[in-house]
Amino acid sequence: MNADQWLHAFAAELHHDRVAPEDIRHVVAEAATHLRDGGGDPWTVFGPPDRYAAVIAESVGTRPAPRPGPVLLHAEGITKRYGRRTVLRDAGLTVRAGQIAAVIGANGCGKSTFLRICAGLASPDRGQVTLAGRLAYCPQQGGTADFLLPDEHFVLVGAGRGMTRSTARRAGRATARQLGWESADPVPARQLSGGTRQKLNLTLSTLNEPDILLLDEPYQGFDRGSYVNFWDQLLRLRDAGRAIVVVTHLLNQLDRVDLVLDLTPAVPGGRPCTG
Amino acid sequence: MTERRGQWLRGVLDLCVLGLLRDHESYGYQLAQSLDAAGIGPIQGGTLYPVLLRLERSGLITARWREGTGGPARKYYRITESGQAALGRGGPDWQAFATSVTAIVTGGVDG
Repeated sequence: MNADQWLHAFAAELHHDRVAPEDIRHVVAEAATHLRDGGGDPWTVFGPPDRYAAVIAESVGTRPAPRPGPVLLHAEGITKRYGRRTVLRDAGLTVRAGQIAAVIGANGCGKSTFLRICAGLASPDRGQVTLAGRLAYCPQQGGTADFLLPDEHFVLVGAGRGMTRSTARRAGRATARQLGWESADPVPARQLSGGTRQKLNLTLSTLNEPDILLLDEPYQGFDRGSYVNFWDQLLRLRDAGRAIVVVTHLLNQLDRVDLVLDLTPAVPGGRPCTG
Repeated sequence: MTERRGQWLRGVLDLCVLGLLRDHESYGYQLAQSLDAAGIGPIQGGTLYPVLLRLERSGLITARWREGTGGPARKYYRITESGQAALGRGGPDWQAFATSVTAIVTGGVDG
């Protein structure tokens, strides 16, 4: 990790720790000049980015978490059977504006099904979903068109909300950049790597500024840096008042989310665990 | 030994910074160099900047970004009136404390 990478990681951690953007700019710029003046290894001079960020957050203070707003997604009593197999039993979730909910559970326990039901793409056998606001859904796979360029995707999706071509392109490229991807190159989607295609997918799902964002393990194929950018982006969207539901099997991010729905099915003889 | 020095320093680094800023403004890297030159030892940025931020937040110092001569913009720190007052109280406190410690420790050395 060179100085620039360290500074980037440090900035990301400060963001996670809810340090005000203005303070982040100053603290990172100051650390950068210090490293330029002294030429030391940032790991020796400042230590690990996360630990130093925590110390800084304590020194400058942090923004209070915005109070969650109105309920934007309410799912209750969701039950879904495929043949004789019950995939979901009485699952429920309530997400407010400014909250991130993680849907977790073992493979095959209905996480994607639950999300598709929330998106209105599948219907439950019982239960109901109430939404308030515009919805975007980012599937685990697909969602991009093989022969279109990233810019053409932006224009196509942006047109759905009456964006001009140039506005859509600009918005798409800006969002892609926040995910660490320079999307202006004219490369058709089928030639993008799996991780980059997912960035395109993510960019498209936020392009129309949805109120509710449903993401089905959208980070497959991401390297570590992209993964950090992705969570940064989620926290930004949360702070902007979006309601976000993200399916995940990676539990190390759970301390950053506001709600957890565990869909792990009942153990025989044990307590049902449907959130 | 280094660990003990680190512990001592933690208690007085804010006073040392105020002392260095008493007569003229300075920036982080320069302060670190001054502390080292004064014999306190090398101070890493990770130790120094949190102290500067806390002093700034409690109003004992102020900061502003300023272009250096031909160099990049740096954040210069300057002591405030309440910083001067804090130094005026803390300095003698430290002196009294250090004198007492010296008296006891010197006895140990002699014995």
